[in-house]
Amino acid sequence: MSVPRRADGAGFSGMVDALARVTGRVGYTIDLELPGMLHAKLLRSVAAHARIARIDASRARRLPGVVAVVTGEDLAGRSDLFPWFGPIFRDQPIVAIDKVRFVGEPVAAVAAVDLDTAQEALGLIEVEYEELPAVFTLDEALAEDAPLLHEGPPRLGQAFPDVIVNPEGGNVCNHFKLRKGDVDAGFAQADHVFEDVFTSPATQHVPLETHACVAAVADGQITVWAGTQIPFVVRSQLAEIFKLPLSRVRVIVPTLGGGYGAKCYPKIEPVAALLASVARRPVKLHLTREEEFVTITKHAMRIRMRTGLLRDGTIVARQSTCHFNTGAYADIGPRLIKNGGYGTGGPHAIPNLRVDSYAVYTNLPPAGAFRGYGINQAAWAYETQMDMIAERIGMDPYELRMRNFLNDGDTVMTGEPMTDSHFHELLDSVSSKIGWDFRGWDAEPERRGSKVRAKGLSCIIKGTVTPSTSTASARLNDDGSLDVLTSAVEMGQGLKTALAILAGERLSLPVRMVAVSEPDTAVTPYDQQTSSSRSSFSMGGAVTIAVEDVRRQLLEHAAELLEVAVEDLELEDGTVRVAGAPDRAIGYGQVIQRSRAGNLLGSGTFQTQGGLDPETGQGIGSVHWHQAAGAAEVEVDLETGRVELLRYHAGVYAGRIINPVQAELQTEGNVAFGVGQALFEEMVYDHGQLQNGNLGDYMIASIKDMPAQLDLTILEHPEPTEIHGIGETSLPPVMPAIGNAVYRATGVRVTDLPITPEKVLRGLRERHGRETPAAGAVADTGAP
Amino acid sequence: MTAPPASNGQPLQARAVDDEGRLVLTLRVNGQQHRVRARTHHTLLEVLRDQLRLVGTREGCGVGMCGACTVLVDGNPVSSCLLLAALCEGRELVTVEGLQADDGGLDPVQEAFVDHTAFQCSYCTPGFLLAAKALLAEAPDPSAEEVKEYLAGNLCRCGSYVKILDAVLDAKQRLSQQP
Repeated sequence: MSVPRRADGAGFSGMVDALARVTGRVGYTIDLELPGMLHAKLLRSVAAHARIARIDASRARRLPGVVAVVTGEDLAGRSDLFPWFGPIFRDQPIVAIDKVRFVGEPVAAVAAVDLDTAQEALGLIEVEYEELPAVFTLDEALAEDAPLLHEGPPRLGQAFPDVIVNPEGGNVCNHFKLRKGDVDAGFAQADHVFEDVFTSPATQHVPLETHACVAAVADGQITVWAGTQIPFVVRSQLAEIFKLPLSRVRVIVPTLGGGYGAKCYPKIEPVAALLASVARRPVKLHLTREEEFVTITKHAMRIRMRTGLLRDGTIVARQSTCHFNTGAYADIGPRLIKNGGYGTGGPHAIPNLRVDSYAVYTNLPPAGAFRGYGINQAAWAYETQMDMIAERIGMDPYELRMRNFLNDGDTVMTGEPMTDSHFHELLDSVSSKIGWDFRGWDAEPERRGSKVRAKGLSCIIKGTVTPSTSTASARLNDDGSLDVLTSAVEMGQGLKTALAILAGERLSLPVRMVAVSEPDTAVTPYDQQTSSSRSSFSMGGAVTIAVEDVRRQLLEHAAELLEVAVEDLELEDGTVRVAGAPDRAIGYGQVIQRSRAGNLLGSGTFQTQGGLDPETGQGIGSVHWHQAAGAAEVEVDLETGRVELLRYHAGVYAGRIINPVQAELQTEGNVAFGVGQALFEEMVYDHGQLQNGNLGDYMIASIKDMPAQLDLTILEHPEPTEIHGIGETSLPPVMPAIGNAVYRATGVRVTDLPITPEKVLRGLRERHGRETPAAGAVADTGAP
Repeated sequence: MTAPPASNGQPLQARAVDDEGRLVLTLRVNGQQHRVRARTHHTLLEVLRDQLRLVGTREGCGVGMCGACTVLVDGNPVSSCLLLAALCEGRELVTVEGLQADDGGLDPVQEAFVDHTAFQCSYCTPGFLLAAKALLAEAPDPSAEEVKEYLAGNLCRCGSYVKILDAVLDAKQRLSQQP
């Protein structure tokens, strides 16, 4: 697996804090311990939808060692608090107020001197529930007489510039519309129209570090250390809850033990801060794995996709109706349905596109951001349908894709022209590496005993949040070292390293002379979010501008000291020199010392522009478009239905590669993530009660689930400032590439993720039943 | 991953407890003796983190499925979330903090992980390092398939598996070249 190394870059490949990471010293939120710190536990609802008829925490409050207990009743009486949170709709209570909406929702919180005591106290809290009818599926939630999760119009917070708010009442939390061209005319023009339905389940992010927070509240000042991807939204929501100015809320973010979207937006910070304010002592809250599972999930989804094509395979119209099960609270669902909705247009030039995408409330744990952000679900639908269509019209699925790809100048689904398109190149690369060799839909798969092998392809497009804003500061010290102050979050993606490389090369400093901060909202400047594969691009842009600002000042001071014009100076390895006169040079530190500047401060603001019309979903959907392709070879055991991924080839367009090894790691990591989503990850509920919320029953990919051969094509752009995110891009192709390969191997088309052995066997039995009347002769090796 | 050590078939001795009901235990961790206090239900993981502040050992699942809390007990990799601290007296315990030499030098397995960047968020890294250490002590020349089999009980959600495999195979070479 090799990625060409840049000769002209900083030449650094690795992670700046590697030593801390292999010695166990890197320091997560869970490692923090403050003097007098208490430990918190949450009592969680056992009912899916119920009125809280009575809650009595008096015995818990009397237990020695218990310092604070909070219930919904306590919140109701406090005019100094606004007890609701949520990034778009303020619909989630800090702990349940009057009613519960899912099994696992916190109904009371305890802070005690140790965890044993806090746990014991939970058992002393009595709750009486008056059960209400509950809805778990999309159909139940959308039924005409369905019980409502939330009544009345939503409480809206400060607007996100890219979010279109269109709650339609009932259990419809939000509705995103896209109207491009004339979809009716498009279907009228079509020679073929195909309609299929695709579904995928809720899954969990499973960051190995579960949600954790330490909160301290004193003298009108809140400080939280939180494993969050979005410190500035956590700050603004805590300020709103506690009715404080933003400047009185400080959010510090130690490195994260994984995020993948789970740690976007407030989750446990409000309840930890509330306990700390009641206890007047610092409080630590660290969720168990079982609690993590009911804190946030990927959206379960159903997409009905109707696609019209001309006889030659050109797509002329598509209509998608997307329903995302957003659980009991909106979280970021109202925004995610936009990406998941417009995403169904895919990397295809479709002139007529109509999308209706809905977030639907149900009595399940809230769903929110998840690596891929709606595109996993969308791509599962359109890339599976591409193969289904290819078979129906008798085409090579590679050809069908190639024929329809967006080229530069074509309008993308959100209406702006495509630029910098690489779909043909990506699909060509992965298909040739996997040895794509289409010999017709009726060609027999390669067979060895009970095992069959075949290959599948896919290709996707993904946007990044637009418009968006990142800001950063840079500080050149009087020894010539550089501090970069940023609120972008390190969660394993190597952002600190990427920013150190970008900053260092602008100022001709080696990475070891650059320190990149942790986010601390009291010190580090604003950043919108560490998600959406945006940080190397957006924060990288802000840091670059800040360092340019420092560089300009450095050159001006040096020009004065060396008595030459700025234009005659150059920077090399921490030294300012007069071009062509190597003996006339001065170190950065000396420039600062001799000019008595103290330090040189630079600031940078990086903004992107765009946004969509609320009625048509047209405008600028993404500042640039992330592109990836995948090619899978699977082996399916016809006796057990088990699918093994033998080989995978991932192709992704990276723009500039900043840190080669990290680019590989993120792409390989997406394959590991995708194998789980494709083959086994699924949260299973029974009447709202999660059945597999632990790592014994919910599997994630181990080293043995990785394909024996994994190859990467990471396409690079020659321009060093052209940076695209790759944190998520190569994930969405994995599931449909595997699904398409399984179909070619077995003739079983699974449209509902994950592709379990049970589904494959059931499909094989159905096929067998169709093909031979003696279906009874097939041994029932089926589902347990 | 071997099962946690039982009490060698011997009944646990009745033990003195302090006035808060805690046992006073002597644990040997990373070559040093420590006196700790733990209730009978406290796990080795809790004692290592909360009392000895050896925070390189981390909980990932609490049920012995993810390997993030792996420590070496008499050289065997064990999930410290499943092992009661009270059963660890007289055992030789090694955590990730014990891999580094006194002079700060890294263990060859750590070096290989650094050189291959065999981690992303690195929450799982100590568990992988200790499992790999145990593997290479048990079987100095494992094949790639054997490495995968041995490490299947350690989960890395960031999916750094390709680099982890490369690092362990590289560490094997480094160790075989040691005098």
